[in-house]
Amino acid sequence: VTPLVLLLLTVLAGCGSGSPAKQGAPKIAVIISTLNNPWFIVLGNTAKEDATRLGYDAVIFDSQNDPAKEAAHFDNVIASGYAAVLFNPTDADGSVANVRRAKQAGIPVFCMDREINATDAAVSQILSDNYSGCVALGQYFVKQVGETGKYVELLGLVGDNNTWNRSKGFHSVVDRYPGLKMVAQQSADFDRAKALEVLEALLQGNPAIDAVFCGNDAMAMGAYQALVAAGKEKQVKVFGFDGADDVVKLIAEAKIEATGMQFPKLMARTAAESAAKYLKGERDFPQKTPVAVELVHRGNVNKYGDYGRKDAK
Amino acid sequence: MRGLRRLIIGATIAAGIAVLLYFVPLFHIVPLNQAGPHAANATFDPVSFVDKFWTERLIPAASKAVDAAQLVAAVQQDPEAARQAHGHSVGLGSTYCYLVSGTGRVVSLEKDSVRLSLLVGKRQVQVLLQTGNIFGNVVRDGTGLLNVNSFANSQDFNALSAEINRRIEQQVLPQLRKRAVVGVSIHFVGCTEITEEDSDLQPLRVVPLLVEVQAP
Repeated sequence: VTPLVLLLLTVLAGCGSGSPAKQGAPKIAVIISTLNNPWFIVLGNTAKEDATRLGYDAVIFDSQNDPAKEAAHFDNVIASGYAAVLFNPTDADGSVANVRRAKQAGIPVFCMDREINATDAAVSQILSDNYSGCVALGQYFVKQVGETGKYVELLGLVGDNNTWNRSKGFHSVVDRYPGLKMVAQQSADFDRAKALEVLEALLQGNPAIDAVFCGNDAMAMGAYQALVAAGKEKQVKVFGFDGADDVVKLIAEAKIEATGMQFPKLMARTAAESAAKYLKGERDFPQKTPVAVELVHRGNVNKYGDYGRKDAK
Repeated sequence: MRGLRRLIIGATIAAGIAVLLYFVPLFHIVPLNQAGPHAANATFDPVSFVDKFWTERLIPAASKAVDAAQLVAAVQQDPEAARQAHGHSVGLGSTYCYLVSGTGRVVSLEKDSVRLSLLVGKRQVQVLLQTGNIFGNVVRDGTGLLNVNSFANSQDFNALSAEINRRIEQQVLPQLRKRAVVGVSIHFVGCTEITEEDSDLQPLRVVPLLVEVQAP
């Protein structure tokens, strides 16, 4: 997948050129927390495509999970006269100041997927209902693993609300079963390579685990890779979250148990359409719009793909 | 003499820095589960919120519940019209939650549920009243009384579900488990969610809020 990611990044590096938007069209910035993850590439690309379709000149900025880079992007966006920002924050607290600066400069911000800890800064926040998605995932986890067993949890970035909404949703179910023991809980920063490394190390001390719960699909892919390397992929059940295409395919192949389908395309499209309406004068937006996460497992995997439901209107 | 003076000044500065660092440490080491922004919602008290919500808003809303058998018929006939008329959904998604009521006869007791049969005219509708651990947002969202935008962050909104569910487990389910036997009639008010019309209607899974077990 790494060459694929590099290829996509190369394509993204040229974004802004060749867009069908008219010359001199208002510019919309798409600021994404990281493009080192296919799910966020889909979120960013869809936001850009939809903004372009709506007549704007859209440019993607990659914050590389670095709040300092994100702040620099906002400086650039404010100085360059962008009309709006479609924003996927790096940090629920740390990103608030950037949104406020844009607001003061008269630039509306629309958050996608990740929440900021302020309700008076962004125009609206289109958010994945991570907690509820992981409640459903937790119930499926108990059904598949059973009411006794040992598992490892790989957390995402510890500064991100989604990391904890997912973890808390999962534990709100699994902790009700005292026979299910979490033998390790460690952050792998939502990163595939780091998840591979972290799980390889954890398997040394905990060779007899039954399952791994991962806070996103990139980590689920890394975890699965570590299990294959250790020859344990058949005895350890892997659960992810995101609905990334590679994980959905592995669920269909019975290699990964389940994931929570978030809808990056739906979120990006809703944010882009909200920005267009705002720029045409509409001001009545709900501050938060949760987007339901749907459980994808072997029994219903045929209904999902391409980062959404196949029967979506 | 000069060396001693330097030593005293050095020691004084070091002691000053040590005292300063004691009160203003450069970093804190905290366990993972206490790190991050999730620790910021300490001011919201879901227990007292739900306490008030339950008596002042939820129980009075029970009279507005749609008849469970009517809902099943309405969804089978026109799912979109049924959603618009009776359903509640928070944000965007294909799941809709409903506040329902009905009276049915207990036909079986299962591991985490009581199966009821509701006879409406010639139609028979099966309802599974949940009696095990309650998870998810079906009650929070099923009444349509709570708005995510009234809460500071999504963690507070989610804490409501956990508290509502805990309350149902402690105050509603023990009576139901104790008194439900095959053959008795039960009147219930509760919430249900429907995602897939082809699998979520028969039986209709209901998280009960109010139950009255009638003598056989």
